Amino acid sequence: MTTLLQQIANGLVQGATIGLIALGYTMVYGIIQLINFAHGEVFMVGTFGALAVYRWVLPESVQDQWYVALPLMLLGGIVVAVVVAVLMERFAYRPLRNAPRLAPLITALGVSVALQEVVRLWFPDAEAAQSFPRVFVDAQVDLGPVQISATGLLLIVVSVVLSVLLQTYVNRSRMGRAMRATSQDRDTARLMGVNPDRVIVLTFVLGAALAGVAGVLYGAHLNSVDTNDGFQTGIFAFTAAVLGGIGSLRGAVIGAFIIGLIKTLGGQYLPGGTQYDYVWIFVVLILVLVFRPQGLFGEAERVRA
Amino acid sequence: MTRLTGFLPPALARPFNAVGAALLVIAALLPWATFLLNDGAFPDKATLQFFDAPLAVTGFRWQLLLIGVAALVLAFVRIPGQGRVLRALGWGGLAIGVVGAIFIASEGGGLGAITAADGTTAFGSIVAVLGGVALVLGSTALGIPDIPDWPTRFFGLSGWPLRLAAWVVLVVAFGGVLYLVSLTLTAGGIGGAADPYAGPIFLAFLGFAGALLGALHGAGVTRWVSRLSEEHRGFSILVLVACAFALPFTEAGSQYWMQVAATIGVYAATAIGLNIVVGLAGLLDLGYVAFLGIGAFVAANLSGAGASALGWDLPFPVAALIAAAVAGVFGAIVGSPTLRVRGDYLAIVTLAFGEIFYRSAQNDIGELTGGASAIPGIPPISMFGTAFNEPLELFGAELPSGVLYYFLIVLVVAAIMAVFANLKNSRMGRAWIAIREDEDAARAMGIRTGKAKILAFLVGATLAGLAGAIFVHKLGTASYESFQFLESVTLLAAVILGGMGTIPGAVLGASLLFVLPEKLREFDEYRLLVFGLALILIMRFRPQGLVPDRVRRAELAGETAMGKSIEEAEEQAVLEHEEALSAQKEDRR
Repeated sequence: MTTLLQQIANGLVQGATIGLIALGYTMVYGIIQLINFAHGEVFMVGTFGALAVYRWVLPESVQDQWYVALPLMLLGGIVVAVVVAVLMERFAYRPLRNAPRLAPLITALGVSVALQEVVRLWFPDAEAAQSFPRVFVDAQVDLGPVQISATGLLLIVVSVVLSVLLQTYVNRSRMGRAMRATSQDRDTARLMGVNPDRVIVLTFVLGAALAGVAGVLYGAHLNSVDTNDGFQTGIFAFTAAVLGGIGSLRGAVIGAFIIGLIKTLGGQYLPGGTQYDYVWIFVVLILVLVFRPQGLFGEAERVRA
Repeated sequence: MTRLTGFLPPALARPFNAVGAALLVIAALLPWATFLLNDGAFPDKATLQFFDAPLAVTGFRWQLLLIGVAALVLAFVRIPGQGRVLRALGWGGLAIGVVGAIFIASEGGGLGAITAADGTTAFGSIVAVLGGVALVLGSTALGIPDIPDWPTRFFGLSGWPLRLAAWVVLVVAFGGVLYLVSLTLTAGGIGGAADPYAGPIFLAFLGFAGALLGALHGAGVTRWVSRLSEEHRGFSILVLVACAFALPFTEAGSQYWMQVAATIGVYAATAIGLNIVVGLAGLLDLGYVAFLGIGAFVAANLSGAGASALGWDLPFPVAALIAAAVAGVFGAIVGSPTLRVRGDYLAIVTLAFGEIFYRSAQNDIGELTGGASAIPGIPPISMFGTAFNEPLELFGAELPSGVLYYFLIVLVVAAIMAVFANLKNSRMGRAWIAIREDEDAARAMGIRTGKAKILAFLVGATLAGLAGAIFVHKLGTASYESFQFLESVTLLAAVILGGMGTIPGAVLGASLLFVLPEKLREFDEYRLLVFGLALILIMRFRPQGLVPDRVRRAELAGETAMGKSIEEAEEQAVLEHEEALSAQKEDRR
């Protein structure tokens, strides 16, 4: 029983990371119908951006004061992730806006490979996994029978709060309305005075900022980051977005928590143990796509060419 | 119709061309490096003085000299497609100059190495770059004409003489291709410690080969040859296969290059299989390498390798057929979601299947894959009493070991090409193309789309499984690491780079993507980075690939099926319409 609860707690922490990334996937797909494979890499870049801030910007005296270090590292991670995402949108995806669907998908794969390599080659020592500072309270919190680390708890709280904020922004604000309009019909939105290019850039920026936050907290939680973390986590996030119903913000976060639970519980209880936990996630992905492609919270199926 | 695209007024075209060509010739004869590089002279005879011995230049300087002389002649002699030919030569010269300049500057410690230092001067590379730029500018100012069409009935010949003449042309053309392939493989040597300059020499050679092919293409020669080979299909296939078999007898017939060529063959066969799924049926598959892997592991388990769990020892043809069949079954299974899933959702489903295969193989599922320790010690293929890794004596020539694998893979690739070509022109092939273009319309036309799509996966996977069986025997081990997601992306990139839906495209793409890393070992660190950037750039600037399919080009590059741009076609339509209107007015008067 304790194991079960402990694994559920672990799953929720993993789900929180995945959820922050999944929001970016679902927003971008909702607006330009692009599976942005490179979004996982944006998350990874954010992690390394924060690491760079810690190593080379923060004076040693504040490195162990988390209330100074963490916000600055978050800022660094977000800035790096946003810059990368904007550049990628501008130079890789925008020229292909009206190309056949295959073209941007393959470009996204190229961007993903290239970003991974850029960090691996030019971030000092990034050939191997890098240790990441635990820039937060280094303690285990007791919640009845289960223990959860303070960083894990922070991840869950931040993830839920940010997704609620994002949901509110998209539903209430003027720019959010423009986003929804663009995702429904770009040409009509343009006629109504929305500038789709700006909306799309904003979508990438929001997604990247969330991925950057996820990257920093993930690094702080695991104490270790690697350049190939991004792709794998990105695929999980995409799975979560699909599971929740692509285009739905609420669905992405709930889907992410489900994916996190599948990973930890599947690794614990299903045959094969943790070596096969990835396999279960992909099995779920296939089953959802085949039997309920609109996901849990998606709109009724639209024809997708 | 000649399009004017240059930055320069047409009047300046000829002087620029002449000066550019002359600069290229001069560059070839100038010294390139001010001092001897650490690993020996680069280029060969680096100390050669200006005009000292113009015929003694070797390597890329000799190629540059050829380009320069050709351009110098063409600057004054009018030929059809002149602008295109000169432009190709200009880019080639520019490429050679840039490669040389960057390499010498980075090896020799900065600009001093390629300009003047310690009293010696070496402006070769800079002059070459200038010459290349001048030639490109001049040729575009001259105007870029349409590629000329040459008649396939020539010299007033007909009947047998015409056929004979065409055959001679085809033999010469394919022989030239063979020679070029052998040169490309051997240019610069193997690389690594043995040939420290392999990378730049090879890149410079690519510049030369590109210039040569571009010039021939611009003059309409390649199009002419390809039309001739269409008209004499049986004969050209024969010559092509003969040429492929002749490769071991050329300079490239060393053990090393035969092994590289056989590996390329395996990937080319797989790429053609993938081309059926992606190029013909338009179903994006991101986990395709799994089928190669399934074929490989099945064959490994049936090979009698001591480490395999099954330990069966079947003759290779039987094992290969079983491997292909098993891969085909998995292909049908992976393809079955296509009944409900479309477009990029399908891409994700195939990616998921690929990852499941990878993880399962990594964890030694059912003790069939060896897991992290792989399945080592797979014996070489042995047929007719000969093991395939033995050297061979044929027609008095001593052929290195590995050549039998090369012959086998050539046969398999030829067979797969035949399957592809026949399928493409069959009822099923037309159904696939129809599905690619518009699935709903295809269904409305009575095509059973579900069956067709699963069949595409089945056929593609079967071919990959067959390739996998050969792959594993040639390699001697079957390890899950050979079947990563990145390999799937590389195969997909090979298909796209070559041109989707065409046979030469898939083979060319696979060759490029698997020869380049072999040749550019010095840059191994940057291989993936370059690969990623190349994917982005290809999609941006040439999404239709190097050898585009006609229909596909229309779709991806905004051109009509006749190869004109849509704007051009529209302009023409508008002109015709206006003419018709004015004719009507005249009639009324």
